[in-house]
Amino acid sequence: MYSLNRILIVFALTAIPLLAVTSFAAETGRYGIGKTATIEEIAGWDIDIRPDGKGLPKGKGSVLQGEEAYEAQCASCHGLFGEGEGRWPPLAGGEDSLTEDRPKKTVGSYWPYASTLWDYINRAMPFSAPQSLTPDEVYAITAYVLYLNDLVEKGFVLTQDNLASIEMPNVNNFYADDRPDTNNERCMKNCKDPRNIEVIQSLRGITPDQKKTTAEENPAKSKLSEAAIEGKATYTTSCLVCHASGVAGAPSLDNKDDWAKRLEQGMDTLVKRAIKGFMGESGIMPPKGGNMSLTDEQVSNAVQYMVEAE
Amino acid sequence: MADSKKPETSKEYLAELTAHVPPTSRRDFLKKGVKFSTSLAAVAATSEALSDNLPPHVSSWSKSLGTGVVSTPYGVPSKFEENVIRRTVPWLTADKISSISMSPLQELKGIITPNGLVFERYHAGAPAINPAQHRLMIHGLVDNPLIFTMDDLMRFPSESVINFLECPANGGMEWRGPQMEALQFTHGMISCCEWTGVRLSTLLAEAGVQSKGKWVLAEGADGAGMSRSIPMNKALDDALIVYAQNGEKLRPEQGYPVRLFNPGWEGNTSVKWLRRLKIGDKPWHHREETSKYTDLMPDGRSRRFTYEQEANSVITSPCPENPWGQKGSYEIEGIAWSGRGKIKQVDVSIDGGVTWRPAKLKGLVLTKALTRFCLPFKWDGSPGLLQSRAIDETGYVQPTLSQLRNVRGTNSIYHKNSIHTWQLQSNGKIKNVQLK
Ligand code: HEC
Ligand code: HEC
Repeated sequence: MYSLNRILIVFALTAIPLLAVTSFAAETGRYGIGKTATIEEIAGWDIDIRPDGKGLPKGKGSVLQGEEAYEAQCASCHGLFGEGEGRWPPLAGGEDSLTEDRPKKTVGSYWPYASTLWDYINRAMPFSAPQSLTPDEVYAITAYVLYLNDLVEKGFVLTQDNLASIEMPNVNNFYADDRPDTNNERCMKNCKDPRNIEVIQSLRGITPDQKKTTAEENPAKSKLSEAAIEGKATYTTSCLVCHASGVAGAPSLDNKDDWAKRLEQGMDTLVKRAIKGFMGESGIMPPKGGNMSLTDEQVSNAVQYMVEAE
Repeated sequence: MADSKKPETSKEYLAELTAHVPPTSRRDFLKKGVKFSTSLAAVAATSEALSDNLPPHVSSWSKSLGTGVVSTPYGVPSKFEENVIRRTVPWLTADKISSISMSPLQELKGIITPNGLVFERYHAGAPAINPAQHRLMIHGLVDNPLIFTMDDLMRFPSESVINFLECPANGGMEWRGPQMEALQFTHGMISCCEWTGVRLSTLLAEAGVQSKGKWVLAEGADGAGMSRSIPMNKALDDALIVYAQNGEKLRPEQGYPVRLFNPGWEGNTSVKWLRRLKIGDKPWHHREETSKYTDLMPDGRSRRFTYEQEANSVITSPCPENPWGQKGSYEIEGIAWSGRGKIKQVDVSIDGGVTWRPAKLKGLVLTKALTRFCLPFKWDGSPGLLQSRAIDETGYVQPTLSQLRNVRGTNSIYHKNSIHTWQLQSNGKIKNVQLK
């Protein structure tokens, strides 16, 4: 008994200072985990822009410069005039349409702040190569999209100093969430007159097929060459957006006749045009699909995949 | 999201609906098929006549051996469940990289969504992130700007919660009228998991938020750089920095290796592949809180920062995918949820909302989680209009569609949480309808 007590006392004595340290940590919320972020580390990721212009890097770009860049890098999806190709989003038009039966929400008709446009293009566009534009390019393209919406003049130059002063037409039409906005009651009996119930049937024929699609997930019978197998990943991340469905005149993968004709020029030509970019009869193929971080070999493999894929 | 663009193709829907019920012709074929009485159980199961495994016969799998351990080191469902999958509505978006898929609610039991069936929403696809090379940065109006590795994050005290995650566009395809003959497409942009991680408030305390810090910008490491402004009171209340779901690490689809999770709030605020939290004194008004995820009202003005998912419910059995067969006893079953707290009560109507009966809540009733309700029912073959109505602990009663439309019109896309109607036909089939 005696010795056991002594052990307990000794243990208690050593435990007290330890406990004090831990409770101190919990109280101030300082666990001492993580490392200090350096100024350089923060600068590399700190890309957010606010309506007051906070966060904008130094730079400038004109509507004219933006026109060229937009047509090369954005028009294939968003349309030459921002009207939106196929089902890709439009960026312009729709003024005064917000109370109409089919409102058209665009940068010009809906967006409250120009800073949002700069921020979004910089972080997410072009779709297949996000965060690839320089600040000056983003200023220029932003200026051009504003121009497409008749918000600035053709000679306009956008800079870090004047962006916050651009007033967007819809800026005052947003307000804070004021729900709940309905007040249903928990009625249990005779809640409505059954004779007044009118049943509206659903539109037929638009519910997707619910059978399992195994066709493209069947790896068993791959007849692809090694280069094509390598190229599939590049194709999926950088080329599919246009070439899967044939956006803006891009030859779609399953249009074998079109590809057969293109192949007559020889594989080398196809690869060269995929790398350097190409403006043909049906549209604009941006260099490397707009993703300049790809190596030539990756692009070449992607072309191989596109030619072989069934 | 819910551009009400109509697809050009017309499909014979009813044929599809019955596709997963074994048709008699298939059964006949199986009966005539060759029997492999001693071969692998898997082969035997599909090749033998159905009746040969039924009493009084001894089933083939009782007379043979099954597969050994680790034959599927990471287990997969029975191959007879291959129809239980996420599905998308291809005509909703221009491509699959920025799109959404729905959970098969018609097949799910209880309140937990298995990880492989949690609905997906990407703005630039799901990135393949190496956790060793992933970092979470906290900076802005803080005393100590910090960078955490994944190992760092897992050293903090952890918490687990069961909460639903719902896209605010859930149901948004049907503001103007019923469109989808399937529960999976009318309500499938919701899932419910156990989420494990560290409280955001713990990380904020670690960085020391300055008194002017009122907003948190959460930003993803995906190609969309998905970003949302979160008010500080939510950040300090129940927001979690999550790295695990249902007992295992997050799936890539759900933000692997780490995401923000805002219980009860619209799914897009729970930014996935989280790389950065910046503290500021004002919101940022980024694209996903201006162009998208704002709610256009009939007067042309728009609500913004509509974070909460209001109380909602739907009957999951029967539903278009789960029709009734012969007359007799059934359980009308469904799910209810509220982003403002617990579900207090669910009522069910079989006459289109003339009379309502209280349903029973079963299993766990948790705050901001899916909650199961049921009502035993003897069906005499009469047609009906089935509805459910959820009431949450704030007293909010799920509205009718006309109540919602009266206030919001039909162009607000998001937050359509109205009472849903299934039309029960005398043959037991279920149609998706709306009531005027
Ligand atoms: C390959 C097709 C493609 C290309 C090329 C492309 N975009 Fe996009 N853009 C998209 C898609 C897809 C979205 C919607 C993404 C989403 O759903 O989150 C989008 C969205 C946008 C939006 C937001 C629209 C809205 O209403 O919210 C802007 C602005 C935009 N793009 C600008 C640009 C600019 C500027 C360029 C050129 C630098 C560009 N895009 C190139 C496909 C493209
Ligand atoms: C922004 C849309 C877009 C993207 C992204 C894109 N392409 Fe294209 N591509 C096009 C268009 C449009 C054409 C058709 C040009 C024409 O013939 O008028 C084309 C044509 C081509 C051709 C045929 C050239 C010829 O000589 O006929 C090849 C090969 C090709 N693309 C490869 C690629 C590869 C590889 C990638 C990905 C690294 C890619 N594309 C990404 C739009 C795109």
